[in-house]
Amino acid sequence: MVALPLAGITLVVASSTIEGFAQVCLKQSATVVTEKRRWLWLGIALFVLEALLYSGALRSLDISTAYPMGALSFVSVTLFSSWLLNETITRKRWLGLGLIVCGAALVV
Amino acid sequence: MEQTTKSRRVLIAGLGLAIALDTAGQLLWKVCVAGLPASAEPGPIVLAVLHQPLCLVLVAIFLLQLFNWLKVLEHADLSYAQPITSLSYVTVCLLSATLLDERIGLAKTIGVLCVLSGVVLVGQSKAQEQNAASTRA
Repeated sequence: MVALPLAGITLVVASSTIEGFAQVCLKQSATVVTEKRRWLWLGIALFVLEALLYSGALRSLDISTAYPMGALSFVSVTLFSSWLLNETITRKRWLGLGLIVCGAALVV
Repeated sequence: MEQTTKSRRVLIAGLGLAIALDTAGQLLWKVCVAGLPASAEPGPIVLAVLHQPLCLVLVAIFLLQLFNWLKVLEHADLSYAQPITSLSYVTVCLLSATLLDERIGLAKTIGVLCVLSGVVLVGQSKAQEQNAASTRA
């Protein structure tokens, strides 16, 4: 592989971002009173889309690159929890998250 | 916003189950994929999946995981619960070392320690910080 597999990297980033949206949908489904099912199906559909994009990424990326990058989804989930669900992210949570992402990258 | 002991217990059990199911799912997924034909066509792969009981167990695990996860999210912030499931990186790493005889080098050991300390930090925050999500329609 000569050039950077940009397409693969873009796909992993996209799938991690979609995971954030999917998780927000599931959280909505668990907490809202009406339209629970709509949120649930939207979440499931997004998970399927994420899996497809991730599979596409694996065509051009080694799993040892793709899998640790997938830990980015922890960041996207936290960002969307804050923006879309108004959750308070304390400094401790951010710090813990940073350690988790670094750790996940090393473990794989 | 004080959490009742019962809600706390349900949350801890749910998170434990989520991590266990995630770990089982990941290990089983590897076993399933290894048993599939090398074809790139979706048709034969789908047929093979339907004929392999282990793959059906995997689907059952995914469904159980989804159901359990919705329960967990009733009791905790998403930004609290989701990072804690990263413990499955640790359990998968340890299990693949025990079951599959994979070696755990220095980098992996440091990684495991990082994930563990990160989870401890996230776990020290409240499961539900003040937020408006629970009142949304």
